[in-house]
Amino acid sequence: MTEQASGESLYRKEPKIYPRQVTGRFARLRVVAVWVLLGLFYLLPWIRIAGKQSVLFDLPARKFYILGMTFWPQDFVYLALLLITAGLSLFFFTALAGRLWCGFACPQTVWTEVFIWIERWVEGERQKRMKLDAAPWNAEKILRKSTKQFLWIVFAAWTGFTFVGFFTPIRELGANVLSLSMGPWETFWTIFYAFATYGNAGYLREQVCKYMCPYARFQSAMFDKDTLIISYDSERGEPRGGRRKSLDPQEAGLGDCINCTLCVQVCPTGIDIRDGLQYECIACAACIDVCDQVMDKMEYPRGLVRYTTEHSLKHKTGHVIRPRIIVYGLLLLVIISGTLWGMTHRVPLRADLIRDRNALYRELPGDVVENVYTLKITNMDNAPHRYDMLVLNNDSVDIDLSRPLELGPEEVAGISVRLRLPKSAGQGVQHLDIQLQASDDPSIRKVIKAKAMMPIEFGK
Amino acid sequence: MADKSREIPGRWSQRKRDIGTSLWVAFLAACVGTFVIFAVLDPEALNEAWVLPWEMSSRLAYSLGFLFLYCVSLVASALTTFMIRTGPKRGHARGKGKQAPPTVQAPEAENPDLDLGDWR
Repeated sequence: MTEQASGESLYRKEPKIYPRQVTGRFARLRVVAVWVLLGLFYLLPWIRIAGKQSVLFDLPARKFYILGMTFWPQDFVYLALLLITAGLSLFFFTALAGRLWCGFACPQTVWTEVFIWIERWVEGERQKRMKLDAAPWNAEKILRKSTKQFLWIVFAAWTGFTFVGFFTPIRELGANVLSLSMGPWETFWTIFYAFATYGNAGYLREQVCKYMCPYARFQSAMFDKDTLIISYDSERGEPRGGRRKSLDPQEAGLGDCINCTLCVQVCPTGIDIRDGLQYECIACAACIDVCDQVMDKMEYPRGLVRYTTEHSLKHKTGHVIRPRIIVYGLLLLVIISGTLWGMTHRVPLRADLIRDRNALYRELPGDVVENVYTLKITNMDNAPHRYDMLVLNNDSVDIDLSRPLELGPEEVAGISVRLRLPKSAGQGVQHLDIQLQASDDPSIRKVIKAKAMMPIEFGK
Repeated sequence: MADKSREIPGRWSQRKRDIGTSLWVAFLAACVGTFVIFAVLDPEALNEAWVLPWEMSSRLAYSLGFLFLYCVSLVASALTTFMIRTGPKRGHARGKGKQAPPTVQAPEAENPDLDLGDWR
């Protein structure tokens, strides 16, 4: 009680983590991932394909433009397939090699990496940063901290601007920013996304992974004993201890771990991989890189910390390529190829024939019966088309259109259609199959069903 | 796993309380959500703007709307409960509960021959 009264917390303080910089295979891989992913994010909206922004989610028009293809609300099945693919990929890659996503592809990791680059560039290496944080506020500290904040804010603002550029044509948006005439919602979302980036990558960092992300809590359900995970080979490493390089560890009764604690110092979540797999581990493999370097310097074989499976650490047989991986892989392959096939083979034409609700039919002079419809037609293609309308299963139908069936790219039209049948064509309901086909591209073809009403004459 | 020894007769176990709370809070949220959404939106009008090839009656729309909101809120509240329950243990100042953070030292402290010169 006295401790609490004097302001001391009952709980242990979590130390701030200053990850030490690491170089090596996996660090290089992460740099590549950062450049590729952020490169795509920042550049894609500026690239134009077929006269349209390469990726644009035009929400007000309810159309998505992705790499020259246009997706309409009716294509939402592809969104479902995309989500299934994403889910399956997560299962597949987690079962194969653990949290690859977290270490290399998660936006949290990728943007944090850039923010740390900026921090390191302005404030210096780990030791310098720790010293700077502990130092009193002097001119140098103010200068370095405000430079860092300035660069962070500029980078975050650019990120927010780019994000909104996926929803509003980015060139217009850029012009609006320069002339200070951005719309209220564009401004709001730019600031919102910039703030989220700044907070997540600048301050929250590993706390997001430790406390907020559900993936870490579910990972055990996707792991098994043949999953490649980053592990410390305790059999080889223990008993750990410092030593001179000339010392033969076997004679001294030591394992290969020299207890330099560098694996802890490079860890962005501040854990000790030598304690075994922990859910805080985001599989960034920084500990592998640094330990390999230490092993090189000590002239020990590499791989004291490495990607391995629980089975192989325990000298049991097991295969990384196992039924689970094969099943996930096959399912992924089928869904991805099916989606691609569907996307490349979809017919960019949508048509519905809606009966006029006011009248059942109209009898015209000359023993002709007229049925009136509205044709709701959408040209989902990026090119204009002219369509031919034809009744497939009845030769006697005469088609009268309120305007020619010519639609510009992405045009939606409601066209009044009058179908005239001679009375001799039948009585009651006539089922008609009506074909619409682009005159310049026979593959753009749609058959719609329609009902034509005819008078029923009793007693004949 | 629920700790049987910590259960008090006549009182709900923690698991039971978690499930009950999630279900009830999600229900309340879905009620409010349905009320607000359909106060400003006529489900009949949805049929006009609907991209799916079926029409629905307003009663079906109200019911599906509520069930959809209930499912979404249930996922959110159940996941929240799960995240809080499985979170990191709170550490106690006098060494109870959570284990201490790993200790670090200068790499060369125990290893005088380790040359770190090029990767600081």
